Amino acid sequence: MSTQEKTFPPPGLSAAAAGTPVPRRRKPARKKNTWHGLIWVLPGLVTLFLFVYYPLVLNFRYSLETSNIFTGQQRFVGLDNYTRLAADPIFWKALGNNCLYAGISIVCQVFFALVLASLIENLRNERFRAILRSVYFLPSAISLTVTGLLFAFMYQPQGGLLNGLLDAVGLDSLQQAWLGNPDTAMLGIIMMSQWQGFGYCTLLFAVAIQRIPRDLYEASALDGIGPVRQIFSITIPLVREMTGLMMIVTISGAFQVFNEVMVTTSGGPDNSTQVLGTWLYRSGFVKNDFGYAAAIATVIFIITLALALIQVRYTNKRRV
Amino acid sequence: MKALFKAVAAAGIVAVALTGCGSSSTAGPAAAPAADLSTVKYEGSVSVITRYAGGNAAFFEKMAKDYEAAHPGVKVNLQQESDQGYKDKIKTLTASQNVPDVYFTWAGNYAEQFYDNGLALDLTNVIAPKTEWGSTMAPQALDAFTKDGKTYGVPLGLDAKYMVYNKKLFADAGVSVPTDLEGLLASCKSLKAKNIVPMSFGNKDGWPAIHYITQLNSYNVPAGTLDKDYKPATASFDDPGYKQSLDQFARIVDECTTTGKGANGTDYYSQRDAFGQGKAAMFYVENLEFAAAVPKGSPAETDGYDLFRLPAPAGAKGDTKALTGAPDGFLINSKAKNPALAVDFMKFVTSKQNAETLASTIGFPSPVTGTLNESNSTPQLRSSIEDLQKASRLSIWLDTVTVPGVADAYLSGVEGMISGTKTSQDVMTAVKAASDQAK
Repeated sequence: MSTQEKTFPPPGLSAAAAGTPVPRRRKPARKKNTWHGLIWVLPGLVTLFLFVYYPLVLNFRYSLETSNIFTGQQRFVGLDNYTRLAADPIFWKALGNNCLYAGISIVCQVFFALVLASLIENLRNERFRAILRSVYFLPSAISLTVTGLLFAFMYQPQGGLLNGLLDAVGLDSLQQAWLGNPDTAMLGIIMMSQWQGFGYCTLLFAVAIQRIPRDLYEASALDGIGPVRQIFSITIPLVREMTGLMMIVTISGAFQVFNEVMVTTSGGPDNSTQVLGTWLYRSGFVKNDFGYAAAIATVIFIITLALALIQVRYTNKRRV
Repeated sequence: MKALFKAVAAAGIVAVALTGCGSSSTAGPAAAPAADLSTVKYEGSVSVITRYAGGNAAFFEKMAKDYEAAHPGVKVNLQQESDQGYKDKIKTLTASQNVPDVYFTWAGNYAEQFYDNGLALDLTNVIAPKTEWGSTMAPQALDAFTKDGKTYGVPLGLDAKYMVYNKKLFADAGVSVPTDLEGLLASCKSLKAKNIVPMSFGNKDGWPAIHYITQLNSYNVPAGTLDKDYKPATASFDDPGYKQSLDQFARIVDECTTTGKGANGTDYYSQRDAFGQGKAAMFYVENLEFAAAVPKGSPAETDGYDLFRLPAPAGAKGDTKALTGAPDGFLINSKAKNPALAVDFMKFVTSKQNAETLASTIGFPSPVTGTLNESNSTPQLRSSIEDLQKASRLSIWLDTVTVPGVADAYLSGVEGMISGTKTSQDVMTAVKAASDQAK
């Protein structure tokens, strides 16, 4: 870039008139640069192609077949797997659970995390702010398997912490097998996930809030604006880029949920906590229906690709 | 954005082209080729995969070490996985045609998938009941891996399901060992009246309930009908005994357990520990787990414990002498480079001396006859094996004897029944639909 800048003549003068050396023909130079660049990025492109795009297309091909893993036998069935998918109530239940997961995650990990970050950043004592940020971030540093076991103990119907607390405050009528009851199991898993992801989102929002000029708050305070209105009139509008990004990342993550369910209920009881990821796993690795599993994978891919494209478009428009 | 679309589209087109060029295997199942097992060359390696990671890993670790010491030219490549880890890994290895030389299997449809598709060596000539090796084993164990007169599997642990009971708690409630299902339910009532938890039960993983259903199906449905229905090609699941079994199971959960509708949220192993701690009077458990369920010095051991079969309902139309259980087993990959060496390794593992080691190291009773004694097993374990040999047949676990779709319908359906969201009729409708789909 700097070389090119040196070769440009001053405005209004040709290169020769300006007495500057005439640059060599630029077209071949560009071509050379392009080829040099391609050589450098080729290993990355090959890796990307082999490990991302090729498996994606292969997966789509598998979704149009039934396959017997024991013999390697494959049979083309067209869109049969997709037709079965559309008529499968557990697939729709799983998709519904993913949507519920996304909805609750937006409320907790975007809205509540933003409010909490605002409150933390409004505190005057810097050391206390740092401690609070660390405390809220701590669950994100714990392995998901450990978190799953921890919550499984908390949700135990007999001797579990949650039922114990309800008993202690006289709400023993609300005690139940949180992960064993189809009505509460999915919510139990989602709340576990919120506990773990909430602090991470809070930290990201705190960083975004720190970038807002303090003058705006001081000026608004002089105008008599209180802390609540400051949140709605200054903080929320000025972290909207981060808010938008967090929403997309949160929704996209909600459609890729797998571990949270596997470490707690494996999709049970009675398939009430199946999400697309676990239903894919069960269809392939338990029921040996790999073509059907590939069709589920394609649906997940389409959903997450759409979200990723929105994210790319959003971040191109508004740099955070 | 347009550039992104172009890049994705271009990559997709090239990938589609390459996919088309890839080999699309459409070969049908091939019969396992005959292998020469008469001469063993003690050189090279033998790969082995088990599902005994963790507490039960010690036995195969010792076997690998001892076999290598006995045959210095041989290397045993041993992989041990957890139960679920094994289920996942073996499917990946199968799909990639990388099945180890010796690999674990459950009995029933699970094992048949391998030998029906030519992935297991026919061992009839070396392990059938009348051969030198086969004659050392309990015939029921070999039956579990025999299909159409051919024996494919090497049984390892002789596993069966029993109700263990705490003698002191039974005595405290004035209860004796029940002889039929009604007697069991009456015992539960008496135990509850004395504020004793009659039976501990956790069904978070689904299969604990299936073990009850396996035994009750054997009692309520004639054996011939069961055999027919467990194979999709001939299945109808029309016998009323199936629904009766589910209803009887629901009564056991309601009247004998305190977890009740919450059983789906309760872990099997924590309930097993509850029995060991003397907090429940009964627990339905595999004999392989006796040592884990009642550890040395535990309250249940101090109280004294014994076992009985899950009692049959009065007037049951099925086989009331059948017992739920199946041996764990191992298959030999038909494509193993040195199949004679793989077979020789399993002969070594199931020799009388090592069968005794199996019981003394991890508490598994071996199918090799006469290997349990006072020095390597508890009286309860020996009692279970004596009883098992009186069984008319072993009823293989419902979730491995049937095709995966039917097993899944049972697993999720029974969970729904426990939670109260499904009836026994709903479960049987789903089972029948899954079976029809598998035809």
